[in-house]
Amino acid sequence: MSDEQLPTHSAFRFHGSWQEFARIAFPNLLLTIVTLGIYRFWATTREREYLWGKTDFIDEPLEWTGRGIELFIGFIMVFLLIGVPFIVIQLVSQGLIFQGLPVLAGLLTFAMFLSLFYLTGVAYFRALRYRLSRTYWRGIRGGSDDPGFQYGLSYMWKWVVAWLPLFLMVPWAMISLWNDRWNAMSFGPHRFSATAQWTPLMKRYLLFYLVPFLFFGGAVIFGISMAASGNAPDALGDTGMAVGGILAVVALLAFYIIIPLAALLFYSKYFRLAVGGLRLHTLEFAFRARAADWVLFFLANIAIIICTLGIGYIFMPYRNWKFFVEHMEAYGEINIDELTQSQTVVEKHGEGLLDAFDVGAI
Amino acid sequence: MSAFFDVAHYDGQKAVKRKVEVQVVGSQFYVLENEQRTGPFAFADVAYVTKQGDADVYGLAGHDGWRLMLSGPVPSELAALLPAPRRYGGWVDRLGLGKAVIAFALTSAAAIAVVLFSPQWLAPLIPDSVDDQLGDVLVGDFGGRFCHTPAGDAALQKLVASLDDNPQDLRVEVANIDMLNAVALPGGNVILFDGLLKQARSPDEVAGVLAHEIGHVREKHVMQALLRQMGLAVVLGGVDGNSGAMVNNLLAMSYSRDAEAEADAHSMRMLGNANISPVGTASFFDRLSQLDGSEGAVKYNVEITSYLSSHPLSASRKDAFEKSIVKGKNYKPALTPSEWTELKTMCTQDRKVKSGFGFDFD
Repeated sequence: MSDEQLPTHSAFRFHGSWQEFARIAFPNLLLTIVTLGIYRFWATTREREYLWGKTDFIDEPLEWTGRGIELFIGFIMVFLLIGVPFIVIQLVSQGLIFQGLPVLAGLLTFAMFLSLFYLTGVAYFRALRYRLSRTYWRGIRGGSDDPGFQYGLSYMWKWVVAWLPLFLMVPWAMISLWNDRWNAMSFGPHRFSATAQWTPLMKRYLLFYLVPFLFFGGAVIFGISMAASGNAPDALGDTGMAVGGILAVVALLAFYIIIPLAALLFYSKYFRLAVGGLRLHTLEFAFRARAADWVLFFLANIAIIICTLGIGYIFMPYRNWKFFVEHMEAYGEINIDELTQSQTVVEKHGEGLLDAFDVGAI
Repeated sequence: MSAFFDVAHYDGQKAVKRKVEVQVVGSQFYVLENEQRTGPFAFADVAYVTKQGDADVYGLAGHDGWRLMLSGPVPSELAALLPAPRRYGGWVDRLGLGKAVIAFALTSAAAIAVVLFSPQWLAPLIPDSVDDQLGDVLVGDFGGRFCHTPAGDAALQKLVASLDDNPQDLRVEVANIDMLNAVALPGGNVILFDGLLKQARSPDEVAGVLAHEIGHVREKHVMQALLRQMGLAVVLGGVDGNSGAMVNNLLAMSYSRDAEAEADAHSMRMLGNANISPVGTASFFDRLSQLDGSEGAVKYNVEITSYLSSHPLSASRKDAFEKSIVKGKNYKPALTPSEWTELKTMCTQDRKVKSGFGFDFD
């Protein structure tokens, strides 16, 4: 009786409206300004409550149970445990330089950098854990018993390995860390399994990687051919000016359009592969957005922000979530009777670390 | 007596949605499903979770994922027992949005006012020992870059003694760094850079600059700026990175301009007491204003005292010093020609001093 066969349309559906969201976002903006930013933790929470509540998985909505105070406590903890010590370390290393001990100051700064690097990894992990543990569906939540300290180490060495061969192993690090993160997560009684492959990602990555070289190569060849034919640009007068103008336009195009485009091409493939490798018990997931969807999405975002003179920025959480949900798919079946409550621990503080490092990710 | 209400329910153990009856008995209630009765539960443990479509969703303390979902109008007998819906968060809901915005705005303004104005009263309360220790940590022996010769030290001492009544709690040094600069640091430390001595055309010019830096020490500007910066960092800590830093810098800058004017006033007073002509200082600023075109602030600061930067335009400072000239007064030079030569060449003569190479602030 309680075997839920997934319907033919996507298992995820979003039915919010931006007008409703505006009634949350504008008071949020006002309250955030008059509280010198402190309200933003409660603002985020209200927005998530709305977005989660307007998202159906199969037949029932998601529910966000995180609280503003949790995010606030997370922020305060980071401020006291990381912010204050780092200010002190900076002062001390400044003093060490003054006293002629630059090596010691350098070591201290390096240690500070290493621990920041480590904590960034831990932050990514714990933010995902926090979000899953606060997401309920039919009274059941997700989570993880892993505190993420081990993941922080993986994060460090995998990125170092990614950078060493001239950044060529970046796709491997991204996919492998995604898998590490999700393999530690669970929903209800079931553990996620993440088995995404990184090799299919290499073609797009190489494209992105080579674009600057191709442009540079093109410019060099152009220059050589000009010199070889004996036509120095200034000898051509107006034609030379025109050629120079075209070259400048092409260079601008490269920087503002082609490189971001290549990056999007890569990222859309990454996200499809990463989500596609995700399983939860008998459920499989997919992300349908292709590069063209991402491009349109970003162009629309930019247009909205420009046309509203920046105010449209407050709708970005809405746009991001809508884009994410509308392209998510799930296949398989769920046995509702089998889906029992998660036994993972629930921390009392939110994603302060991630917030402090200013990285926003789903 | 007891009353019954039909509601939807998740027990938080399984994902199955149940249709149950709530039986209210006084301040407690039971949940009934097919002759099965669970409870009693206290209404005091019931918490408002969220609004889901037209349903209000309630949770129960200590029961993870336990939910009651009341659709449509809630009967008034039940509504009276249930907690009020939460919209913005505790305080805002209690006050109402309008009043809360006003209250928050006033509180924020008060907090900023305290942070901006209190350092003036607080700085003198900081014990000298703390100030001295901070100075020792920051300055120390400056990596062996302080220049010393018996005759040069004597000349510097004479200059300081003529400009300040309590020279014993000042520590004025010449650093072997080729920069047109001078700084006041915690603990009564004043550092003149060798580049400034080399550029100066008369001891009177150096006297004016030195008296200016001593003014920063005597007016407790260094400690005030430190306190103000720390306070602003805390108060604006909740604001997102860039905008927070911008507001912070703007506020700090407006204060440092006042501090510069105060230090200039102190300098003119002390020059007057010492019977040293302000003409030298005026011509020094005149040359500086030609150097920087008086477009921006004088390049007269280093990174560590950037909180004391943004000096008033050199040209206007020149005018101020010129106006302080008392006509017909019998000024005498700050140092004798031989003393001035000793001071100017102190760093060249000192063979043990380390050079400023590799000590680049800019």
